[in-house]
Amino acid sequence: MLVRIGLLTEGGYPYVSGDARLWCDRLVRGLGGHEFDIYALSRSERQEDEGWIELPPQVSRVRTAPLWTAEDDGVGYGRRTRRRFAECYGELAAALCAGPDAGNASDGPDASTTEADRFGNALYGLAELARDEGGLVGALRSEAAVRALERACRAPGALGAAREARVPDLLTVAAHLERALRPLSLDWYEDDGLGSVDLCHAAAGGPAALPGLLAHHFSDVPLLVTEYGVPLRAHYLASGADDSAPAVRSLLAAFHGRLASEIYRKAALVTPGNTHTRRWQERCGADREKLRTVYPGMDASHFAEVGESPETADPDTLIWVGRIEPAKDLISLLHAFAEVRKEEPKTRLRIIGAATGAESEAYLGHCRALAAQLFPDEAEGMHAVGDNPVSFEEIGGPEAPTLAEAYASGAVVVLSSVVEGFPISLVEAMFCARATVSTDVGAVVEIIGGTGLVVPPRNPRALAEACVALLQDPARRERLGAAARARALELFTVEQNIAAFHGIYLEVVSRSPVNRVVLDGTGEPLPFAVPAEAHVPGRWTQGGIGVVARGGPSWATGRASAPVQATPVPAGEGAR
Amino acid sequence: MSELGELDRPGTPNSPGAWDESSEEWLMSTAETNAPDMEPNAQDGRTQARTATSSTRTARRGTADPVKALMHRHRELCERAVDPLEIAAGLEAHGVTDRTAARFRHRDVFSLAEEMYARVSRDAETAPQPTPPTAPGVRADWVLLSLLPGALCAATVTGLHLTEGRVRLAVATLGALAVALAVRAALGRGPLSPRSHPAPPGTYASHTPASTRAWTYWLLAYALLGDDLLTAALTGGLDGIPAAAGDLATAPVLALTAACAPAAWCAHLFAGGARRKLAASRGLADFTAAVKPLLLGVFALFLCTLAALVAVSGTVLHEPAAYTTTVTLGALLLLARLLTAHGFTHAPAVLLGAAAATEAAALATAFASHLPGCAFLAVPVDVVVAAWGAAGIPAATCAGAALVLLLHATRTLTRASAHAIPGEPG
Repeated sequence: MLVRIGLLTEGGYPYVSGDARLWCDRLVRGLGGHEFDIYALSRSERQEDEGWIELPPQVSRVRTAPLWTAEDDGVGYGRRTRRRFAECYGELAAALCAGPDAGNASDGPDASTTEADRFGNALYGLAELARDEGGLVGALRSEAAVRALERACRAPGALGAAREARVPDLLTVAAHLERALRPLSLDWYEDDGLGSVDLCHAAAGGPAALPGLLAHHFSDVPLLVTEYGVPLRAHYLASGADDSAPAVRSLLAAFHGRLASEIYRKAALVTPGNTHTRRWQERCGADREKLRTVYPGMDASHFAEVGESPETADPDTLIWVGRIEPAKDLISLLHAFAEVRKEEPKTRLRIIGAATGAESEAYLGHCRALAAQLFPDEAEGMHAVGDNPVSFEEIGGPEAPTLAEAYASGAVVVLSSVVEGFPISLVEAMFCARATVSTDVGAVVEIIGGTGLVVPPRNPRALAEACVALLQDPARRERLGAAARARALELFTVEQNIAAFHGIYLEVVSRSPVNRVVLDGTGEPLPFAVPAEAHVPGRWTQGGIGVVARGGPSWATGRASAPVQATPVPAGEGAR
Repeated sequence: MSELGELDRPGTPNSPGAWDESSEEWLMSTAETNAPDMEPNAQDGRTQARTATSSTRTARRGTADPVKALMHRHRELCERAVDPLEIAAGLEAHGVTDRTAARFRHRDVFSLAEEMYARVSRDAETAPQPTPPTAPGVRADWVLLSLLPGALCAATVTGLHLTEGRVRLAVATLGALAVALAVRAALGRGPLSPRSHPAPPGTYASHTPASTRAWTYWLLAYALLGDDLLTAALTGGLDGIPAAAGDLATAPVLALTAACAPAAWCAHLFAGGARRKLAASRGLADFTAAVKPLLLGVFALFLCTLAALVAVSGTVLHEPAAYTTTVTLGALLLLARLLTAHGFTHAPAVLLGAAAATEAAALATAFASHLPGCAFLAVPVDVVVAAWGAAGIPAATCAGAALVLLLHATRTLTRASAHAIPGEPG
C-alpha cells in the first residue's frame, strides 16, 4: 500500500548542514514504495544558503519555511479578533504559569489532564486565529501579549518564580514564545498541504513536531514522532548555560514541557531512539503503549570484511576509538592500562581519534604527558629504537587508514567514558565482531546487552581486570565478538531501522486511516475516487502514481477535472 | 560515524580534565585518611563530573546522607533549577544514570532529582537581581552623521548668498541633494534608525514607508517657499510666483537640518532612559507611568533646543525668526521619526500626509480663487491669514498634527513592548 508521508524536520533534512540528514536520507531512499512530502523548517540563514542534498525521486514536494526570521504580514486586528487573541494567549500564559503542583494537589490525573487540555486548546486557538485572520506574528509581539503574560504571572496560584517576573523578563518570554510559535503562522495546513498526507512523521520533537500537531488538529492526520534526543532535556541544558532570570527559565521550561506532553498525547506513535529517551518521554507524559523503541541504524557494510575475519586482530592490542574529550576519561583508561601491563607486559594500547577545540586539545596533551610518564619507551633489544606502548593516532594515518581497519587491529575495544549518549563507537566495534569492555554509562548496557563486559565508570581497576580477562582468553573473546556482531546486525543496521519504520507507517495508517471525501472540479463529492487498487502494496504503475492512487485513474477523471486532493509536483517551493 | 549519537549527546563537564590531578592523588593515596579534604575539592567546579564515584566515596567515608554530598557537589545546579527535570537533565549530563541513582536508594534519576529539588532551600531574596542591560553607547558614527545635514545646509546657504544667476541655481540644486542624502544617512544610523529596534513591536512593517518620506519632503519644501507663495497667491495671483521662488526662506530649513543632532541625542536619551526604567520597573503599569514623563521631558528639551537654533539661524541669516512654523514642524517631524523608529509606521504616515494635504489645499484654494466665480474658495485661507499672517497656515497644520502624534506617542511609545531589547530572539 502506498502511503503518502509528510516528513517534518527542523534544521535537518534536506539541508546540507542539517541534523540527522543521513538518517532521514536513508529512510526516504529505503522506503521507495512510499511517497514523501518534506516540510522543513530551517534554523539559520546560513543553513538556507548552503542548499539541499540531492533528493530521491520518491520525494514529491519540498516546502520550507524559516524559523529564524518572521515577516510581519501587517494584518491589524479588529476589536473582536483582538479579544479572541487576548483570550487564547491569556489561556496559554495561564497554563504556563500554573504551578505543576496545582494539578497534582487536587485530584491527580484529572487535574493534569485539564491542564494539558488548557494548553492544547490555547495553542489550537492561536493556530486557528492565525489560519483565519493571519497577523499572528505581530500580535505575539504586541503589548496585548505582554499584558496577558503579566496578568497570568500575577494571578493567584501562579508559580513562585513566575510571580517574580519583571518587565524585561516578560518581554524576553514573549519574544521566545513568538519564536517558538512561528510554525502556527505557516500556510502548510491547507488541504493541499499537510492536509493531503496520510501520515505526518516528525523527525524530531519540539518545533519539528508542532506542524504535525496542528495538521492533526486541523485535518486529523495521524502523527508519528521520532526522537533520538529529548528536546526538553536539550532545552534544560541550554538554559542552564545562559544567565536569564529564574522567571524566564521557569516559564520557558513550562512551555517546552507542556508542548512535549501535548505532542506525546496527540501522537499516534512515538519512537524513541533508545531507552534513555524513552524514559524522558514517559516522564513527560507519553503513554507507554504508544512508545516503540527504534534503534538508529548504521551502515554495517564497511565493517563486513573485518567482522567476518576476527583472526586479523593483534591479540595483544587494546583499541580505543572516539573523539578525544574530557568526558571520555582517557586518564582512567591509562591508569587501567598500567594495571593491565602488570599482568600482561606485552600489551599495547592504541588511542585512535582526534581532538577538536581548545579544551580537547589541552586534554589530549595532558593524556600524552601522562602516558609518557606512566610508560617508558620500550625497545625489542639493545640495538632497536624504542617505542611507547601507548600510541595516539588519527583515522587516516598510516597505521589506521580506515575506521574498520582501526577496529580490526585490536583484540579488545575499550570504552572508558564517564558520560555518553548512544556511543556509536561501541556499535561499530560490535559490527567488527570485537570483544568490548565498556563503562556503564548512557545507553551502553542497552547496546551491548551481555555481548561484552561492562564495568562501573571511573574504576580503573575493574576496567583493567576486565581487559586482562579478555586478553587471556581468546576463545571467550571470539565468542563475545561473534555474539556482539550478531546482536548489532539484528538491532542496529539501517535495514532494521527502515523495516521498523515501514511497519510503523502501515500500522499507523491502518489504525487511523484518513478518509477524505474527494471532490471533483465543481465541488461535488466524487464517487469511487479512491479505487481499490490504491491499497495494493507497492508501486504498481509508473509515474503519476500519487495522482492515480489518491484521486482515481486519470482516464476516469481527466486532467481538467482532477480532484482537488491531487497536488502538483513542484520541484521545490518556499512557503515564505 | 553517523551523527545520530550526537543529537542528544550530554554536555561534557566544563573542565579541562574530568579527572584532574587532585583526584589522581586521591585515587593513589589512602582514601580514608584524607576524607575531610575532599569537601574543598568538591567545591571546585572542575571536579563536578565525579558524581559516578560518589557512592563509593561516601560509602567509604560513611556519611549517613549520601544525597547531601551529591547536593553539595551540584549546589549551583540545584539552586538554579526551576523544576526537578532541570536537575535531572543536569545530573545526567554529569554522568549520573539510573544505576547511580540506585545507590542513593532511588528508583531513577528523576526521583533522585525530585528529592534534591525538594531539599534545596530556595530563598526568594537570594534570587539574583537582573543586571540592567547596557544601553548602546554613544558612537562616533551617528554623532558625526547627525551633525552633517546642518553643516551641509549651512554651506549651501552660504553658497547661495555668495553666488548669482545660474551658478546660484546649481548651488541650490546640489545643496538640496547633498542635504537630503545627509539627512537620510543621519536617520539610517544611531538612535533614530529603525534598525536600532530589530524587534518591531507594532503591527506594521519596520522600514520607513515611502509615503512618510514624500510627505516630509513636501513639508520641508513648503517651509522653504510656501509662505511667500501663499502671500503671492492671495495678493497678486500668478504674477508673484517667480519673486516668491527667488526669495527662499532658508532660516527655518537651516534650523531644522541643524536640529538633526539634538533630535538624535534626544532619541538616544529616551531610549537609554526607557531601558533603565524597563530594568527597574516591576509591572507594565509602573513602566508606562515612568516613561511618560521621560517622553514629555525629552520632547520639551528638543523643542527648546530647536527654538534656540531658530533664533541663531535667524540672527545669522538676518531673516525674521519664524518660531511657530519651524518649531511646530520640527516637533511633528521628531515625533514621526520616533514612532517610525520604534516600528509604529502607520500613524506618522497618515498624519504627515494630512498635514501636507492641508497645506496643499490652502495653496490650491488661494490660487483657484483667481478663477472667475471661485473667489469664495479663498475665504477660509483669508480668514486665517488675516488673523495670524501667512505663517499661520503651516503653523496651525503642523501644530495640530504634532499634537495628535504626541497623544499617539504617549500611548504607544510608553508601552514596554515598544522597548524590547535588541538582540533578543524575535
